[in-house]
Amino acid sequence: MEKNYYVCTGCGLLCDDIEVESEKNIINKVYTACRVGVAHMKNAKGETNFLVDNKPVDEATAVREAASILKNAKNPLIFGLGTSTDETQKLAIELAKKTNATLDDTSSFCLGPLVEALLQDKLKTCTLEDVRNKADVIIFWGADPSDSHPRHLSKHSYFPRGSEKQKGWEEERTAIAIDVRKSHTAKICGNYFFQIPPGGDTEFIDALIAALSGKLPKTSYKYPPKKILELANILKGAKFGVIFAGLGLIYSLEDLEPVFRLMKVLNEKANFHLVPMVGHYNMRGFNENLFAETGYVNRVKFEDGIVKHGPEYSVVESLKAKTVDAALIIGSDPLSSLPRSVSKNLLEIPVISIDPCETLTSKHAKIYINTAVSGVEAGGSATRMDGTKVSFKPVVETVHPSDEAILKKIMEAV
Amino acid sequence: MTNAMELYQMLPKTNCKKCGKTSCMAFAVSLMSRELTPEDCPPLKEESKYRESYEKICELFKPSEGATETGLIVHEDLCFGCGNCVVACPPNVANDPYGVGSGKAPTNVNRLVLTVEDGVVKAQNLGECRRFGKNKILCYGCIVTCPVEAIEFV
Amino acid sequence: MDFGSFLAAPEIKIKIVTYRDIFQDKAMIENRFGEEYRDRSAILKLDPADFKQLNIKKGDTVILKNSFGKIVVKAEESGYEIPHRGIAYMPNSPWSNMLVSDETGGTGVPKFKDISATVTSAKGEKVTELRF
Repeated sequence: MEKNYYVCTGCGLLCDDIEVESEKNIINKVYTACRVGVAHMKNAKGETNFLVDNKPVDEATAVREAASILKNAKNPLIFGLGTSTDETQKLAIELAKKTNATLDDTSSFCLGPLVEALLQDKLKTCTLEDVRNKADVIIFWGADPSDSHPRHLSKHSYFPRGSEKQKGWEEERTAIAIDVRKSHTAKICGNYFFQIPPGGDTEFIDALIAALSGKLPKTSYKYPPKKILELANILKGAKFGVIFAGLGLIYSLEDLEPVFRLMKVLNEKANFHLVPMVGHYNMRGFNENLFAETGYVNRVKFEDGIVKHGPEYSVVESLKAKTVDAALIIGSDPLSSLPRSVSKNLLEIPVISIDPCETLTSKHAKIYINTAVSGVEAGGSATRMDGTKVSFKPVVETVHPSDEAILKKIMEAV
Repeated sequence: MTNAMELYQMLPKTNCKKCGKTSCMAFAVSLMSRELTPEDCPPLKEESKYRESYEKICELFKPSEGATETGLIVHEDLCFGCGNCVVACPPNVANDPYGVGSGKAPTNVNRLVLTVEDGVVKAQNLGECRRFGKNKILCYGCIVTCPVEAIEFV
Repeated sequence: MDFGSFLAAPEIKIKIVTYRDIFQDKAMIENRFGEEYRDRSAILKLDPADFKQLNIKKGDTVILKNSFGKIVVKAEESGYEIPHRGIAYMPNSPWSNMLVSDETGGTGVPKFKDISATVTSAKGEKVTELRF
């Protein structure tokens, strides 16, 4: 019997082997997905809501009002899109062009720089299938996939048998965690957990490079050189190594230069790849779609046909400097996820929130449009954390419009 | 949860040896390891004074029953469905090498010890588990791969 | 000002490292305004020695304060084997974000995982509500 599998859009792993039992468009049972995936797929919601100033309106009114805000703004901010399909993201890019908007997404303060480096071929990377089939040394650096991407280790990186890894994880794979605390992932790594102090990543990289080059590894926080030498020896022996880089690593670095240096040395001594631990299911898709269009992965400002790019067009800096005068926020809750010292400025400008759930941002928005849950109630395509394209169909039907449908209508009305 | 001692309390305690074991305690241990079934004790099965105990024990050892009665406990409140145990479990790998053994959805559910349902691991088909049956061994596959100590054998 | 109340409740300086927690994520998806999400977000995991110094018990509330905000959260012992006095852990959430600096050096990247604050016992004060 051919099984009917769905894709889970709960995180950047986009697990494509989920079975679901549903009745009358309500999902009753979910098989194989993790707890977060199940919560995501069962995410029940109320009636369709189109709110203007927190009062119910019809769809046409909400769309018209939204378009009018965007039209009247000199420099609207379009932000979010990490949990939207490629199709929606491409529409948002067009809308940003049409409204001379500043366009940014959450990768701006997450893993954007890493994805950019990968798209510019500055780092060697691989797919999660490669990892499953070949990887013998796996490093989780500043990343805790057990909590952020729960099936990462079981579906791809550590436990499964792969075409060239038939004997099982105990014999053929070494998983290493480098982190500031003993996370759930670090626990699984056992003796291969290397705890470093907060902010100690650059020094640890330098020490590791020294050890790889046969020099004595030194750190100001006196990490036992013997342990770093042991680690270097494991890495040197890797036939197919992979570093899963998380926010813990990225936030600790001034820029990516230490990562480039480490990857260069690792690839002189062994064979190493890097995969970013992208959180939202299509954050990488946004980076790729914008890159294809403009050559930049995020932080752009469209102005009469030209594209400007730089940190001043990031969501954080443009809110801080109050250079944007309206905001269209799609599938994101910046009032929760940004520092309040920055996000409070959103309260001073008209905000349009397009989101499948009520959030702090939607509650304070001038216009709120409650849309279908992308990947559960609406289909499309997306890019997995490793760059693999994944298409998916909706699991259940809904009365809620997709964010794609809404953006199309706003676009026509602008 | 049940252990051999609790089972023993429900048995006739006559050490009649009709089950082939030397004592009722030995029978209880064999029940625990699934080597024997409740029907293998004729007095328990046939004599009316043991009916209540018999039904209770049968209930505990129903083939489809959850694992707790056989010693494998899933702490559902701790488990978050990462599936590490599902993929690392040796019988799971042997019985479904290209499904769960390769990290994917199960393709041979009827012979899998562990699967994930609604985000929580579920134990079944314990006859396949390496800790039960005649050739049992102390396998730790599901325990050492769990990040939250959600699986325990008692 | 009543300085006595300050002296009575010891204050310590800490660095807060934020992290992600799967049960907290799950609770957020189910209801980001619900109790479970608050209970799993508005918590601070401290070293036992810091706990002692603050003169608080497990589950007591503490005040976290810096120039960007003030929040009340529940204190817990971290359970980590390696001592980490002066460093505390907290799930990344709207609560932790109330303390994150707007100082980015123009990079567009706030220091979400590197928060400096002071902790004192909240003397029974309730956990901060999620609102603006």
